[in-house]
Amino acid sequence: MNILDTKLSVRLSIWVALLLGFGTSAIADPAPSAQPREPAAIYKTICGYCHGKNIGPIILGRGLPKEYITSMARSGPNGMPAFRPTEISNDELDALAVFISQSDAAEGEYGQ
Amino acid sequence: MSEINRREALGLGVAALAGSLVSASAFAGAQLPDNVSKGDYESALKAWRSIVGEEWVFADTATLQPYMKKFIPDPFNRCVPMGAVAPQSLEEVQAIVKVAGKYGIPLWPVSTGKNMGYGQASPATPGQVILDLKRMNRILEVNVELGTALLEPGVTYQQLKDYLVENDIPLWIDVPTVGPIASPVGNTLDRGVGYTPYGEHFMFQCGMEVVLADGDVLRTGMGSLPNQKTWTAFKWGYGPYLDGMFTQSNFGIVTKMGLWLMPKPPVYKPFVVQFPKVSDIDRMIEALRPLRVSSLIPNCVLMMGAAYQLAMFKRRDEIYDGPGDIPDEHLERVAAENGLGAWNSYFALYGTQDSVAAIEQVVRPVLTAAGGNVYSEEEMHDNPWFHHHQQLMQGGLNLDEVGLTRWRGNGGGLAWFAPVGPVTGDDAREQAALATAILSKYGLDYTAAWAIGWRDLHHICALLYDRSDEQMHRRADECYRELVNEFGKRGWGVYRVGTAHMELAAQQFGEKNREVNQTLKRALDPKGIIAPGKSGIYN
Repeated sequence: MNILDTKLSVRLSIWVALLLGFGTSAIADPAPSAQPREPAAIYKTICGYCHGKNIGPIILGRGLPKEYITSMARSGPNGMPAFRPTEISNDELDALAVFISQSDAAEGEYGQ
Repeated sequence: MSEINRREALGLGVAALAGSLVSASAFAGAQLPDNVSKGDYESALKAWRSIVGEEWVFADTATLQPYMKKFIPDPFNRCVPMGAVAPQSLEEVQAIVKVAGKYGIPLWPVSTGKNMGYGQASPATPGQVILDLKRMNRILEVNVELGTALLEPGVTYQQLKDYLVENDIPLWIDVPTVGPIASPVGNTLDRGVGYTPYGEHFMFQCGMEVVLADGDVLRTGMGSLPNQKTWTAFKWGYGPYLDGMFTQSNFGIVTKMGLWLMPKPPVYKPFVVQFPKVSDIDRMIEALRPLRVSSLIPNCVLMMGAAYQLAMFKRRDEIYDGPGDIPDEHLERVAAENGLGAWNSYFALYGTQDSVAAIEQVVRPVLTAAGGNVYSEEEMHDNPWFHHHQQLMQGGLNLDEVGLTRWRGNGGGLAWFAPVGPVTGDDAREQAALATAILSKYGLDYTAAWAIGWRDLHHICALLYDRSDEQMHRRADECYRELVNEFGKRGWGVYRVGTAHMELAAQQFGEKNREVNQTLKRALDPKGIIAPGKSGIYN
């Protein structure tokens, strides 16, 4: 059996195990996270899907004022969604604005 | 009060609009319902603050700003909340509902409020308080063996995906187009659709926890059994199946929902079949139908028009600077220049190497014989539109379609008009012609896609306009209304609609349908405090 065959065999085993019920048992994650998320993580999982992906304008590396960034996030100008404190808390947004304002341009981002 | 008067009292219809807005009293820049005094509202706010804390009640213009955002046409700005309250637990929701009942203040529940072209967090009528469930964001259970999950409404697709990846759980999610910021619970309750074999989201929902208007809690299906074992595994429970009543409705507030997750297959192979001519629409659909109905193609197939695809990443003036509608021949040429067809149908095969190869041998000749060009990753490489669908058809996340909002200018106007028809080429051709004619009359483009659910065809017209252009904003609203009416007359009802047009959409389905919904509403929510106007339903 070559390496490719072995990999396929392993993947098949996982799939079949899942279907037949030999997988891991139930997992629960009941604790709501009260910890503020890191700005880089928020940027990656929200902002970065549009900004730097030819959807929204590039905002990293431009030295945008912090107040401007928080205002944009809460108001959602033009084609941008607005983000509520329940989605990005005030503390998280303050840290995110600092992160965006002080970041260098990101490699791999493209568009306007 | 008669049913018509009840609707009019909530400020429905353009004719009733002026009077209702003048008579309503202003509070924090919004409108109070006629039967609620400023004192009552202030008492309710005080009670809610004691339940959730000061920082999670929003009642002034500044803090309500993010709740005001919408892409849909609403030229009279009726769909505006007067406040918002954000609980973090079931018990807080129950307490909030009891306060709302005491003072007669309507609550408009939202999960994440990110449905884009369907109104976002905006309520269907003025004078409502948003019940923002985003803080209820617990993934309560993922059963790896059964492929089930139990979620709260504030969980996003991003959060669920991250959880599965971080815990190395080989299950997939199925996303709508704005997955990272949208909610599986919210999207399923609005009967949204996605891209994998689990793309008809409500089919893969199982079990709910619902707060009723009196604050009591109902668990549907098997969830009401003591020591239940199959709440998220067996859909039907015993007796009448109730879950459907809590989708696209205002009969209760869903605070937990079960859904099924697809086992990650060993092999995933995405394809696109392109048809070069705009006029190819009927033969494309005729070719795809048997493959989809038989489940040889197992996923929800998205058939994307070139204009829709181009609008994701380009602006209209980049591809056309002539007068009037974009000519078909021009669109076909620009599409080809971008590696697209006039129609681009994305599908995927899932399974083992052998099973995928065997089905590909059946599928390819059928589509090729119909005039389509079938491509996979080998040919499409980094084509951005292929990449977009390649991600979505395996439950991947992106926000590429937010780009649609820039097509006609910077104002961010988008409304999805989505009538449903049977999966036949003739029907699709008729619908396309009607939509094109109506949109053209208002100076708007036919930027459309089709989604084969199974036997049904969702016709997803992205009505794109510049919301900062007042005249175009009004035209977009008039156009949307004509689309709903003209399609409705011909038997094409919408599967879903934005908050500003729910009343109009409900009218298409007839008075008996509305009477039954109203009877249910009065039985379950006699004070009418849960989302009046949702799907055109009032107490």
